[in-house]
Amino acid sequence: MTQVALEGVGLTRQFGGFVALDGVNIALKRGEIRGLIGPNGAGKSTLIDVLSGRAKNRRGRVMLNGEDVSELSPQQRRKRGMARSFQRTNIFPELTVGQQLRVASWAVADPDIAEVMNELNLAALADRSAGDISYGDQRRLDLALALVGRPQVLLLDEPAAGLTVEESLALARTLRDLVNRWNVTVLLVEHDMQVVFAICDRLTVLHLGRFLSEGSCAEIRADPTVVAAYLGTQA
Amino acid sequence: MSTIAQGSIILRPHKIGATVAILLVGAAALAVGFALPLILQSKIAMSLFAQALFDALLATSVGFLFLQNGRISFGQAAFSGLGGYAFGILVARGLVGSEVALLIALLLPTLVAFLLGLVIARVSGVAHAMLTLAVGQAFYEVAFRWRELAKGDDGMSFDLPARIFGLSSRGLQDPAFMVALAWSILVVVLVALALFARSRIGMVTAAIRDNEERARFLGYSTTLPRALVYALAAFIAAIAGILQASYNGYIAPQVFHWTVSGYALIMAILGGAKFIVGPAVGAVALFYVKELAGQVAEYWPAIVGGALVLVTLTMPQGIIGVLRLLWLRRVRQ
Amino acid sequence: MLIQVLNGVVYGALLYLLAVGLVLIFGLREVVNFAHGALFMVGAYIGFSVAAAGYWWGGLLVSVVAMGAIGGMLDAAVFRTLREQDPMVTVLVTFGLLLILETVVTAIWGKAYLRYPMPAILSGTVTIAGSPFPVYRLFVIAVSIVVAISLSAWLRFTRVGLYIRAASTDARVAAIQGINVDRLSLIVVGLGTALAGLSGVVAGPLLTLSPTMGSYILIDSFIVVVIGGLGSFAGAFVAALLIGQIHNFGAIYLPWAATILPFLLMVAILIWRPTGLAGSRA
Repeated sequence: MTQVALEGVGLTRQFGGFVALDGVNIALKRGEIRGLIGPNGAGKSTLIDVLSGRAKNRRGRVMLNGEDVSELSPQQRRKRGMARSFQRTNIFPELTVGQQLRVASWAVADPDIAEVMNELNLAALADRSAGDISYGDQRRLDLALALVGRPQVLLLDEPAAGLTVEESLALARTLRDLVNRWNVTVLLVEHDMQVVFAICDRLTVLHLGRFLSEGSCAEIRADPTVVAAYLGTQA
Repeated sequence: MSTIAQGSIILRPHKIGATVAILLVGAAALAVGFALPLILQSKIAMSLFAQALFDALLATSVGFLFLQNGRISFGQAAFSGLGGYAFGILVARGLVGSEVALLIALLLPTLVAFLLGLVIARVSGVAHAMLTLAVGQAFYEVAFRWRELAKGDDGMSFDLPARIFGLSSRGLQDPAFMVALAWSILVVVLVALALFARSRIGMVTAAIRDNEERARFLGYSTTLPRALVYALAAFIAAIAGILQASYNGYIAPQVFHWTVSGYALIMAILGGAKFIVGPAVGAVALFYVKELAGQVAEYWPAIVGGALVLVTLTMPQGIIGVLRLLWLRRVRQ
Repeated sequence: MLIQVLNGVVYGALLYLLAVGLVLIFGLREVVNFAHGALFMVGAYIGFSVAAAGYWWGGLLVSVVAMGAIGGMLDAAVFRTLREQDPMVTVLVTFGLLLILETVVTAIWGKAYLRYPMPAILSGTVTIAGSPFPVYRLFVIAVSIVVAISLSAWLRFTRVGLYIRAASTDARVAAIQGINVDRLSLIVVGLGTALAGLSGVVAGPLLTLSPTMGSYILIDSFIVVVIGGLGSFAGAFVAALLIGQIHNFGAIYLPWAATILPFLLMVAILIWRPTGLAGSRA
């Protein structure tokens, strides 16, 4: 297995005249947990979309475990071990929690869903319709759907969005545990800096669609260009 | 709010228990079927009920497509008509044995629907409604004009083959026999659909219906499962068409008309398309309301149209949905 | 040959008038009015009642005005009330309305086919390329062209037209900018329905009147609108001409091709653009 689990080379996305991503390069080592941060409009979600195959109109290459997956559909990328969660909760409202996790498990050769359900406190909700549970539960379900099958590479788009401080930190801890146990490579977009610093090894910073900086949490905290970007950016 | 696994069963049973429950209910329903001729007594009553059952099958086809694919079809009559026509024409021309004719009449619409399903898998909502309306009418227009095939708009009567599967075919045009047969087939179809909904492929298609994008990100190709549902729905429609054509010994372009599709859709909505038995209930209900309407039958389309508007706006969950709500309320007390 | 083409253009003109109404309504309300064909039919019958009394042009005027009013009521009662819901709800409700309208017309005018009188001025023929061609058919083509040009001009050069184009592109943003989308819709749906009425009256002398006359042309206009792109007037124009030609030539040379071809085109377009709807809406 290659050392670089996920790599994006020259990723660019534009629609109309607007350039959402401009020649971004990123490379994640196996088992790494990388935070993706940047002010609003930096292109973080777009990068996740491009890496996961959700975005059209893009240039550049995406390499998964050394294989060029740029032209592959999301289904094909999942089969090759890449999973993602969504910023806007993307679950199956009319299936029960248990049913949709099972559906998720069948797509990846039927592993046991009990572990994921227990780790994310969803076991008690197994027979509840996903449309009826609380927002926080739905966020965890969104994440759980991505975790089923122990993907090798995990792209998480603001998993803690809308969660309370306690919920966010609990989620962060759970995530850190699972990810280390399974040796998953993670790219995490998150606004909540407490979550970011709690689980990330390294950070990549984007600004206005471009790569700005990269380094350890301490390095990035101290990086003046990053601070300036956050303070100086209007939108 | 209703989970598809609950389907036709109002209770919330557990796994294997549910499958057994479905089968038991089905067996009981089958038994009722054999008592039907006794209950209905007169040939006219039986004939009417048989017709209601044909409607119920087509309505179930429409409802199933909505339930498992989330798609509303205004042209399901294309497949029931195709089934009836295929059977009638093959039998009338004596091209193949009666069993083979039956097989072809069942498989042709299924195959056509499957191919169509592959093509229109990504078309939903309003565009889907317009497209299916056009499909149904296209079949109607072709049948209307193609005189060499089945006498165009005059329609064509045909004699049933003497024997089918070794049994005399005369039963097919006997009201008592047809009522029992159609009822049994309907029960089997509904049980099969209930089991389908609980099966893996059923849940996968339900997931795709719920959130196609996420289903893709889970690793599923969504086109094939959708096409499969189109095929199954068409299969059920074909059964309805074949039964009707056999019973009447007659096929005419009218079977493809958009009003047939439209009414089947309304029956499904009236009964509650999210429930497996809903469409059948809606069909029988509507059928008998029409019979009772008597003089008012002049204004029947308006009544149906009005019912559609009313149900869509005030009780979209349909008759079964309302019954279920009332039952749940009683249980809570 | 030219005559055949012109006949095709005539049917295309009728389709265009209907398609325009659908596009207008869809642009603003994002719904497809399944009752549109029935409204075409009602317009024809209303015009007929007046025309049969001897006032052909009066019939046209009354019908257009009446249908405009009915369209406004439809918008207020149905489209506005249901705008927050899934568009399919509106489709189903308008489908129910279709059935109700057909019954109402049958109750008032009966099921028998009726003959719509032709106005005296337009009942002659003109010689085109050596063959006689009914003046009335040229009139139909002319009406459609006038509507096409007026509509384009209105949308492009007037303030209301600008608001309509803005609201058609993004109703929410338009509303934020202070455009009263509901009032605009009233006008637009009223106009679209009036055009359906116009099409009905103008089609009257060409087709025979029956309560079901709306359904066939509705399906054709759906095909036109999907092929042309549901948001696009220009597309509707071109598609209407195309379908008109297929319909006409097909009727003469290859009846089945006439039925299957438009449908195949529709499927092809929907495969190519699976959202089904090109033009100003993605």
